[in-house]
Amino acid sequence: MLDLIAQQVLNGLSLGMGYVLVALGLTLVFGVLHIVNFAHGVFYMLGGLITLLCVTKLGLPLTLALVLATVCVGAIAYLIDIIGVRPVAHGPKGHDTVMLSTFAIGLFIFEVTLVSWGTAPQRVAGYSGLLTFFDLTLTVHRATVLVVGAVLLAAIWFTLNKTKFGKQMRALAENPFAARVVGVPVERVGSATFIIAGALAGIAGALLVPISLFTPLIGQNVILKAFVIVVMGGMGSVVGAMVCGLALGVLEAVGSIYIPAGFNLALIYSTLLIVLLIRPKGLFGGRL
Amino acid sequence: MRNHRSSAIAGIGALALCALGFALSSPYYSSIAVMAGVFTLLGLSVNLVFGYLGFVSFGHAAFFGLGAYTVALLTLGLGISPWLAVPFAIIPTLALGALVGFASLRVGGAYFAIASMVTAEILRLVAGNWLDVTRGHLGLIVPSAQIPILDSIGIPSTAYQLVIVVSAVVLVYVALRRLFASPVGRSWIAVRESVDLAESIGIPTVRARVLNLTVSGGLAGLAGALLVPKILVVSPELFGAGYSSLGLLMVILGGKGTLIGPVLGGTIFAIVPELLRILDDYRGALFAILILLMIRIKPDGLADLLPTALSPLGGERRNEKADQSRPPARLLQADRPVRPDARPLLTVKNASKSFAGVRAVADLTFTVQEGEIVGLIGPNGAGKTTSLKLISGFLTPSSGTVNFDGHELGQRPPHEVAALGLVRTFQHTELYGNLSAVDNVMIGTHLLSPTTLIGALLRTAHFRSTEAQRRATAHEMLGLVGLADKADIRASDLPYGEQKLLAIALALAARPRALLLDEPAAGLNHSEALRLGKLLQELKSRGLTIVIVEHNVPLVMSICDRVVVLHHGEVVTVGTPFEVQRNETVKAAYLGMADDHAEDVILA
Repeated sequence: MLDLIAQQVLNGLSLGMGYVLVALGLTLVFGVLHIVNFAHGVFYMLGGLITLLCVTKLGLPLTLALVLATVCVGAIAYLIDIIGVRPVAHGPKGHDTVMLSTFAIGLFIFEVTLVSWGTAPQRVAGYSGLLTFFDLTLTVHRATVLVVGAVLLAAIWFTLNKTKFGKQMRALAENPFAARVVGVPVERVGSATFIIAGALAGIAGALLVPISLFTPLIGQNVILKAFVIVVMGGMGSVVGAMVCGLALGVLEAVGSIYIPAGFNLALIYSTLLIVLLIRPKGLFGGRL
Repeated sequence: MRNHRSSAIAGIGALALCALGFALSSPYYSSIAVMAGVFTLLGLSVNLVFGYLGFVSFGHAAFFGLGAYTVALLTLGLGISPWLAVPFAIIPTLALGALVGFASLRVGGAYFAIASMVTAEILRLVAGNWLDVTRGHLGLIVPSAQIPILDSIGIPSTAYQLVIVVSAVVLVYVALRRLFASPVGRSWIAVRESVDLAESIGIPTVRARVLNLTVSGGLAGLAGALLVPKILVVSPELFGAGYSSLGLLMVILGGKGTLIGPVLGGTIFAIVPELLRILDDYRGALFAILILLMIRIKPDGLADLLPTALSPLGGERRNEKADQSRPPARLLQADRPVRPDARPLLTVKNASKSFAGVRAVADLTFTVQEGEIVGLIGPNGAGKTTSLKLISGFLTPSSGTVNFDGHELGQRPPHEVAALGLVRTFQHTELYGNLSAVDNVMIGTHLLSPTTLIGALLRTAHFRSTEAQRRATAHEMLGLVGLADKADIRASDLPYGEQKLLAIALALAARPRALLLDEPAAGLNHSEALRLGKLLQELKSRGLTIVIVEHNVPLVMSICDRVVVLHHGEVVTVGTPFEVQRNETVKAAYLGMADDHAEDVILA
């Protein structure tokens, strides 16, 4: 029994790492730009789709596909920022408008993908091989997810805390007006944040698609979890997103031993609501 | 104005009737029209929370689905017609709405949005997995939604479905229109704009929010319930994010915070995807592009295009001429003979307040007689504003008591303090910027005479007469502060000095016995300050008691009967302006200046 739990913790961690990467982008965009990006789930889906295309249609190696997916989704994020966010964010009802506009862009990309691909799940082969230690096994692919995720988290942490760009992001998060006054290039930092967020979701989609199969719906499935993680951790909190993302993955995997998957999630979400009533700003609410 | 409006309304009505007749002509059109009606109800429900209370909900599908599931379960469990089940289906959604309303007191902003989304998702998961009750993703199938009597006389089911749904929409529309033109609707807008200001004029903001979410939950539940006879299969997707976002999008597209907006949005969301059907698979994508274009061309929503540009407070107010022939019995609650020797109206005794160990106010003790103007002065950080908050219920003293007219204030929330007749204003002028001056003061009349929800919905004679009285009061208050000719100007368009006066009119509309003013002269130029001083003396002569926190020492010295000087959170001295000006401790304490200079400041 204990083995099973340990095994599921391990599986849950790799799943959770994917969630963390998606949630991290969402929380960064909220924290820095103060907007809720409804197209974020589409970034994840596109990451998976591009990987699928590269591997199955173009016959590229998976590693190259991962890199391409990340870069492409980052570029798409930049486009969305230019077309759908920046021009509408500053009006009197900017917040509502961005919500509507990112939703519409997300809907557009989703619909087009749906029409061209259909809903039938498609498989991409992950990294092959099996790691065994003690009685636990971990596929090489899941191990890769964990390692890549950890490296990215470290990079984000370093960027936020140790670089000038990170300081500018935090300044923007704290007070956009003051940031502009002291000479932070607000537009550039904003776009960069949006690109990073998109790329993170893209690589998460690319990494997880061999685990979870591809359908155009995967973006919608993951975005709700990402929202839950972001709120549970405290909107805009990077540490919160990391901790809660991993926790959600583990709870989901371990809980599925005892409770049917649907009820398990319902239980986790109910816990979230109770946590929110006790701590209305999330567990790590506050700062970037 | 009125003719223009009513002809526009008649036009829309005629158009709607034509559309209805057209829709009835074919089952296909009827079914689209039913969708439009259901969407409209959902949109009206979302708009109530999003447009009027200012909370973003991503989870209205929770109510929508709950309404639909309740109908299906009742129909299958009791073997009754789904139409009969519809009214009962609203009950659990009202209850859920009330629950969410209480939760909204703790969880706000983006957190509320996501929490509402999670609530819907929980229900979706339960509906999808509780196979014994809901049959999971297969869904519950309602066998038939026919009404045998109507069938027997040859009316097609799509026709009476449509008539029932449209009647529901019309009823709800009229009911909401009446609510928005009543203290109930005004209290929601008051909460949306500023909870503090709403509390200060006696609006119980907790009740206002819970009521709003309860009504909204019930409406979304009604929308879901009315959908069942059309779709017959009730599946977990009714709880899905699709319907929640649909609700929000319709509101934004149609025009947030307007009554007509959700109707436009709902109709468009029902019709346009059908019109685009020739495009087959690509209609979703094209619809997305249309939304994007719409945002760029008309960001305020379609309601903006209508000539009627319905005001957020509903349309009916224009029809109610202020009833000048019947002014309220007493303009100010304070309009009564003053008994000079009576016990103090306000007694503050040893009140202290600490924040995380720092004493902001210590042992504050002073009294205010009825009909007096008392000034609270002191250097920055002396504890003036904290004292004012202690008196008005915005803060509870750590120790000590505040007694107003024989009532201990204790833990009373600000709106109860206001109801006792003690009303404050704010240092940073709080107003409902988007509303006209007179509508601002209308919100202030909340305490004037109690109205019931039923009274507002039925527009009883009593309701109409109190409403006219409120309007008359609002105009009188504007006249009192000298803004009679500015009644229809947007509050944010008034010059700063007049905004300050409007804030006082707003507070006066709550008919206080005592007014607490927090730096009313801050930012006023000399002549504006003089005008303010005259107004305060006029109010005093009508029996109003005033406590004023102010930096403008000449103003304080010229109008106050007594002055309380605070320094470092403690009372330095209390006395007439004459006594205070000559008090050595005051000179020493005030701004820590050298004696000569301090004298300049105090005697200025």
